[in-house]
Amino acid sequence: MDNQPILDSIDPELIERLAVRKAEIDRGSWASPGIIAALAIGSVPIAIGVLSKDLYGQAPSASIKGVLDFALALEIFENEFYKAVLGRSASAAQNNAFTVVRALALAVPGAGNTLDQIQKHEVQHIATLQAAGATNVFGLTEASFDFTGARGAGNGPFAKATTDLPFLLQVAQGAEDTGVRAYKGQAANLMSSPGLLEAALRIHSVEARHASRIRRMRRAAANAPSSVRWSGTIRGGGAAAAGAADAGPDAAAVTAAFQSIYGAGANSTNAPSESNTMQGGIDVTTLANANFGLEAAQEAFDEPLDRADVVAIVQGFFIPTIS
Amino acid sequence: MSDQKELVISSGDQLLQATTRRKFLGVMGVGGAIVFLPSVFAACNNDDNNGTGVVGGGTAAQFTLNLSDDTGILNYAYVLEQLEAAYYTAALGSPGFAALSANDQEVLNDLQKHEVIHREFFKMVLGSKAIPAIVFNTTTVGALTATKDVLLKTSQLLEDTGVSAYNGAGKYLTSSANLLLAGKIVSVEARHAAAIRDIRDGANGRLFAGDDVINPQGLDVKAEPSTVIAAVGGLNVLVSPVSIGTGPNAAIKSADTPAPSPS
Repeated sequence: MDNQPILDSIDPELIERLAVRKAEIDRGSWASPGIIAALAIGSVPIAIGVLSKDLYGQAPSASIKGVLDFALALEIFENEFYKAVLGRSASAAQNNAFTVVRALALAVPGAGNTLDQIQKHEVQHIATLQAAGATNVFGLTEASFDFTGARGAGNGPFAKATTDLPFLLQVAQGAEDTGVRAYKGQAANLMSSPGLLEAALRIHSVEARHASRIRRMRRAAANAPSSVRWSGTIRGGGAAAAGAADAGPDAAAVTAAFQSIYGAGANSTNAPSESNTMQGGIDVTTLANANFGLEAAQEAFDEPLDRADVVAIVQGFFIPTIS
Repeated sequence: MSDQKELVISSGDQLLQATTRRKFLGVMGVGGAIVFLPSVFAACNNDDNNGTGVVGGGTAAQFTLNLSDDTGILNYAYVLEQLEAAYYTAALGSPGFAALSANDQEVLNDLQKHEVIHREFFKMVLGSKAIPAIVFNTTTVGALTATKDVLLKTSQLLEDTGVSAYNGAGKYLTSSANLLLAGKIVSVEARHAAAIRDIRDGANGRLFAGDDVINPQGLDVKAEPSTVIAAVGGLNVLVSPVSIGTGPNAAIKSADTPAPSPS
């Protein structure tokens, strides 16, 4: 059978997505019986025809695509950040900026492996979101970011992260926790698409694992206070929840940023501070048989942020305007 | 009985009491004898004390989950939180815990508080619709906390199972408020899982989100309720007969990733 003319007529991007989709199906993801049958008999045209419907028959609605596009922008940001830290950015300038702190990080047993593992997941998240229909609507590249937080000037309040390992880890923790809060805030917007909701939840918990490990690295380095829990959970809310030790020369701006990362969003009903203890209308500091005080009650629940809150937190690191 | 040389245990619950635990450790420490009266094992094997089918503080029907609505899914979460809370509460008095470093004990102390809060929270949210309190096999729980290694391994299994359960169940919730509550809890479970894994990892630095739980698509573990309940049953810690009567919406089921199995 000559498949070539049929394959030639198909968008290369679709082929790429199909490869990912086929890998998913091979790994046991849900697929319609027609696809499985087509793949089983090795019929490429039939499989592609049915897979196209599988992918695009449920093309994301505009609102869902908006969620995916937003998530993609955050993942590209995280990926480029870790790439720069590890010296893997396509931009020599981004790599050079982190030369000093990179050497400090790689001298800590396990730290290089951790950063590598995290960056690998961010790349995977990008591919997964793209396979689900997300597109790079802000045209982000490795040159789209200023990790000092100055939108291109390179002299922002987070410049200290390029030379100071404890501060770098504090920033990484903030980035991961922002990701956790962002995905949590978007979950309800994916309810109409159970498959995408599940994928988003599964990315969300990966980000939480990252944040936990970074907290433990900070505590192990003996520079972070005991409010940075060995259990990887968030104690308290606002800037204090970052467990900041030394905010550097522009401390006011750094503190304000961490206040946003761990504080309440613009709509504090939708997005309470991480210090919140009212859950589902119940004050969890008053539960019978669970009288552990305020801090444990705060740690036991993480809080969401709305999209606009997340944009406000990360915009300083993006040269293009995002929304 | 001679002081500190012999300890008589007449019921499983006594093992969960702080004073008994201290005596237990004291007696173990001096090579004394622990005497388990037959009543301990009677309680473990069969709690049907009155012959009415009431086992472990509730009937089989009361422990049968109906996962077709949010109440059922929240009760499913309540099962898992009861298990975690009971396990860590027992763990805090265990030989395994005593063998941990102060840093690692801080983790277990935090986890115990968080899981008890989650348990009591679900109990209050569910109110009269909550399943009864589950009775646990204290002998098995004791074995699973006997050493540092088994304690950490079991904790990892429980936390990864919790993550996989919440990740798999979110899609079945029909109320966005309930989905948000589940989301607020699952990220805390993921933090726990990463912390326990990191303790077990030494200086390797990858196990917190290892390739055994994060797939090549960068997705964390997920499991359908039937998989989770079967896995929990396999631990042999539940005395109460928890089962699934009505499954969740079959139209949106998805395939499970391999069940987490700490090595």
